[in-house]
Amino acid sequence: MVDAPLREPTFWILTALAGPPMHGYGIIREVAALSEGRLSLRPGTLYGALDRMVDAGLIEADREEVVDGRQRRYYRLSTTGSATLAGETERLRRNVKAATARLGALAPAARPIAPRALGGLA
Amino acid sequence: MRDLERRYRQLLRAYPAGYRQARGGEIVGTYLDLAEPDRRWPSIIDVVDVLAGGVGERLRAAGAADLIPGIRLAAVLSFITATALAGFWGTAEVVTSSASWGAPAFGPFATTGIVVWGCWLLAGAVHVIAPARWARVAIGLALFLTAAVVPIAALFELPRPYLFVLVPQVTLGLLALAFPAHTARRQRLTPLAVASAAALIAAGVLSGKSSWFYRFNYGGAFLPEAGAVLLLTAMLAAIVLSLRGDARGLWALLVLLTPIGLLGLYPLTENIVGAGHADFRVITGTTAAIFLLGGTTLAAALAIRARSSATADTLAVRLHERCPNCGK
Repeated sequence: MVDAPLREPTFWILTALAGPPMHGYGIIREVAALSEGRLSLRPGTLYGALDRMVDAGLIEADREEVVDGRQRRYYRLSTTGSATLAGETERLRRNVKAATARLGALAPAARPIAPRALGGLA
Repeated sequence: MRDLERRYRQLLRAYPAGYRQARGGEIVGTYLDLAEPDRRWPSIIDVVDVLAGGVGERLRAAGAADLIPGIRLAAVLSFITATALAGFWGTAEVVTSSASWGAPAFGPFATTGIVVWGCWLLAGAVHVIAPARWARVAIGLALFLTAAVVPIAALFELPRPYLFVLVPQVTLGLLALAFPAHTARRQRLTPLAVASAAALIAAGVLSGKSSWFYRFNYGGAFLPEAGAVLLLTAMLAAIVLSLRGDARGLWALLVLLTPIGLLGLYPLTENIVGAGHADFRVITGTTAAIFLLGGTTLAAALAIRARSSATADTLAVRLHERCPNCGK
């Protein structure tokens, strides 16, 4: 059972894995790119999160390989992880829709303030 | 094996042996992938990251993975308390009169504490407007000043806040360093909002009083009262979260027992220990006893959790070994 809303690192790791399987270094780079640099994971944090997500059944180990003498384990999204990410995305989409509607309603009332202020300054 | 790899493997001793054996190669490989080609030593950030990861994994192995989220919750409550105290004492430094009773003064302020409390309030402001790492730097600076004011005041013969005021502030500040990196702006405003309320209380009750306010009247009683509020808040959080099956609040309460005990240093040293005028020896002795008691309570809770977790694992294995049809 995974609580909603997902924590930001969990959300971005699931998003990064919504594609081909990835190893730790690949996930770190993908999360940084997807979040436009706002979330920079370090390996200690990443592997703690990956362990918790494996325990929760959100992701699974895909395969292992050794590249340039460095061990790499690839992870993939599980069916539960995919459903959890879809649910969280839908929740966020509804939030954005509600906030956008409110901001849209606010905009006409806010508009006259700027010309008045500018006029006063002039 | 390159120097850098060997050093990462040494740091990996922070992890439990079994985990290190199973995952060490993968974790070290990722650190090496991220490192610049000419790097020979792990960066400070990586050292902290490995150690934090190792502690987290050891707690997870002991069945106490929720201790870290509990510490983060305790850190939020600690930071709110620390800034509230800074708001109270900082205002008291300004509104009290240093002329009465021949009390020593620090310029227009009661003591050198004004610099300390100003820095704590600055940390509260940085927490609102800047990323978490800058807020941690500001808290670190406030911590440094809170500790440094003791030798500096002694060196230049200046008045300073009493140790029973500074010791809980340092403990709350150390805990506050663990606050979560990502929180909503509204939540980050809470410490400054509570500090403003505390400042209003100080202005109301201490205006025009003597600058001995740290010891006497309402000032002397404020710390135990703040400790009682912190205890009640932590207990309430523990009850509410426990009802949702979340043990974070219980761990936060256990972690906060030490700073809560230290907030009661004034009545503890002068009423219970029996020292009419609590000197450095009495204060440090009582502080050590509170740390020992708080640490022992937390260690006992961890041991109980580890034992119950191990029993549950054994039961799960035994159930797993049973015949799925007959249960024998």
